[in-house]
Amino acid sequence: MKGIYRILWKELVQVFRDRKLVFSTLVLPVLLMPVFMFGPSLVLNRLMQGAAEKRQEVAVAGLPEEALSALRQANLAPVAVADPERAVREGKYPAGVLYREGVYRVYARLSGGLTEGQVVAGKVQGALAALKEAKVAEALAGRGVPLEVLQPFRVELLDASPEREKAGGLLGFLLPFFLVVFVLSGGQVVAVDATAGEKEKGTLEALLMAPAPLWQVALGKTLATVVMALLSGTAGLLGLALGGALAARYGGGLLTETGQAVALGGRVVLDGASFLALFLSALLLALFMGAVMVGLGLYARSYKEAQSYLAPLQLVALLPLLFLQFRGFLELETWHHLLPLFNVALLMDALLKGTATLGQAALTWTSTLVYAALALGFSVRVFAREEVVFRN
Amino acid sequence: MIEVKGLTKAYRSHLAVRELSFHVNPGEVYALLGPNGAGKTTTLRMLATLVKPTAGTARVAGFDVGRESLAVRQRLGLVNGGMRVYERLTGREVLAFFAGFYGLEGHAFRKALDKKVMEMSTGMQQKVVIARAILHRPPVLLLDEATAGLDVFARRALLDFVKAYRDLGNTLVYSTHVMAEAEEVADRVGFLHQGRLVYEGTKAEALALGEGSLERAFIRMVKGAA
Repeated sequence: MKGIYRILWKELVQVFRDRKLVFSTLVLPVLLMPVFMFGPSLVLNRLMQGAAEKRQEVAVAGLPEEALSALRQANLAPVAVADPERAVREGKYPAGVLYREGVYRVYARLSGGLTEGQVVAGKVQGALAALKEAKVAEALAGRGVPLEVLQPFRVELLDASPEREKAGGLLGFLLPFFLVVFVLSGGQVVAVDATAGEKEKGTLEALLMAPAPLWQVALGKTLATVVMALLSGTAGLLGLALGGALAARYGGGLLTETGQAVALGGRVVLDGASFLALFLSALLLALFMGAVMVGLGLYARSYKEAQSYLAPLQLVALLPLLFLQFRGFLELETWHHLLPLFNVALLMDALLKGTATLGQAALTWTSTLVYAALALGFSVRVFAREEVVFRN
Repeated sequence: MIEVKGLTKAYRSHLAVRELSFHVNPGEVYALLGPNGAGKTTTLRMLATLVKPTAGTARVAGFDVGRESLAVRQRLGLVNGGMRVYERLTGREVLAFFAGFYGLEGHAFRKALDKKVMEMSTGMQQKVVIARAILHRPPVLLLDEATAGLDVFARRALLDFVKAYRDLGNTLVYSTHVMAEAEEVADRVGFLHQGRLVYEGTKAEALALGEGSLERAFIRMVKGAA
C-alpha cells in the first residue's frame, strides 16, 4: 500500500511545484468566479437601471397629443420624423412609434442581445398601456360603470417552495453545476500530467519498472487526481461564495427561472450532515471521473492529444447537469438515482434544497462507488496494455 | 544470470523478435547490436517485464519474466536513451521516490542531489537516471541505447560506469547500434537483424570475423543471413 502513497505524493509534488498550474487551477477560479458569475448581471443591472432613469429621444409619426404627453410623462422626448421604423433601423433613435388607423406600432432593434432600444421600447409600451387604461377608465366612468368591472377577481402567483429551496435561489442549480465543472477541470490537470505527460517526458517506463503492482500505480495516480479535483472544486465554490458576498454588498439582482427577482446568488443553508453528504458526493464523483480520466489519458501520446480526449468527456459529463434544469418536470424513479453523474447532480440538488432522503443518498453513493471501481479496473487494464503504454 | 529461449514478440502480423535464444553469464557485458528496428528495445522490454513475450521464455536472476515480474523487477535495472526522471523533483527526491519501492528508505544521498532535475545538466540528469536504475543494486542491468543524446563527457562517464558495474560482478545487457561502444565494453556480442539473432560469440571472435571491426562483422553476418 505504500506504493500508492508514494505515487500520490510524487504526483502532487509535481503539480504543486508548477506555479502556473497552481495559479490557473486553484487561484484563478477564486478570482474569476465572482466576475464570471455576477459581473455581467451587475453590469447589466446598472445599465438597465441607468436606461430606465435616463430621458431618451423617441422617433414618432402621427401621434395624437395625448400620446405625446404620455411619452413625456414616461421620461421620454418624442421627436417627429417622417419614418420612425427607418430612423430606428439606421440607429438614429433607440425606439420609434407610428400611429395609423388606431394602431400604435412601436419599433426597436430587438435582435442581438439586450439593448437600450429594448428598454426604451418597454418604456413606450408602458406609457401607451397607461394611456389606454386611463381612456378605458374615462369611458366607463362616462357610462356610469365602475372601474372594478374590469377586475372581477385577482390572480396571484406565490412561491410555495420550502424555505431552504427558496433561500438557495439560482445557487441551488449553479452550485452543483460549477462543482462538477471544477472537479472535472481540476482533476484533468493531474490526470493528463500523470499519464500522457509521463509518456511525453519519458518518465513512465522508469515508473513501470518499479516493483509495484499496476493497480497501485493506477490508484495512486487516480487519488492524486481526486485530491486536485476536490481542491479545484473548493476553489470554485470559494469564488462563488466570494462573488455572492460582493454582490450582496454592492447590490443587484438576478432573475430566477420563474422570472422572480432574487438577491444575487441566494443563500445556501446547509447543516453539518448535508455538508458532509455534499462533500462525500463530490469525493465519489471525483474518484469515478478521476479513474476514467487516468485511463483515457494513458491512451494519448502527448498532453495535446490527452486534452483532445478529455475535453469531450467533460462535455458528456456536463450534459446530464443541463437536464437538471428540467427536474421539476421529472417524476423521480429509483433508476434515476443509478444514472452515472446525473444521480450525483440530483443528490447535490436535493441536499441544497433539503429534500434528500437516505435512500437516495445510499443509492447514489453505492452506485457511484461501483462505477468508480469499474473505472479503476478499466484504468488498471489500460496500464497493463503494452500497446497503449508504449504508444508514442 | 539471463536465460533466453525462443523468445518471440509479434505485433499483429509483424514479428518484432523471432525465436531469440541467448544467455548472459554473471559478471559479463553482453552487447546486443543491431540497427534501428532490429528488435533490441523490444527484447530488453521483454526482459524488463514491460512487454509480454508472444512465445518463448526468459529468466532473469532465476525468475521468469512472465510469471514472476515483480521478483524480476526487484533484481533488474533499466536505462534507455529516452528515459528521464521527474523534473520538478530534486535529484534526492527522485532517488528517494524510487528507493521506497525497494524498501530503501532512509538511504543517505549526496547533497548534489538536492537540485531540481530541471536545473541539472544533461550529464547530471543521466547520472540520476542511472542512479535510479541501480539504487537497489540489481545484479542485472539493461541499457538500451543509453548514450543517445549524451555529450562526449557524459557518454564517456556512462561507458566507464558500464565496465565498473560489470567488474563488481554484475550482469549487463548493452543494446546499441553504435558498434564502437560495444567494442569497448562488451565481453560477448549478439547481432540482431529483423528480430532474429544472426550471430553470437565473444567479442574477440566477432572482431576476428570482421577483421578487427564489429561493424564489418555485423554486415557480413547480416548479408550471409539474407
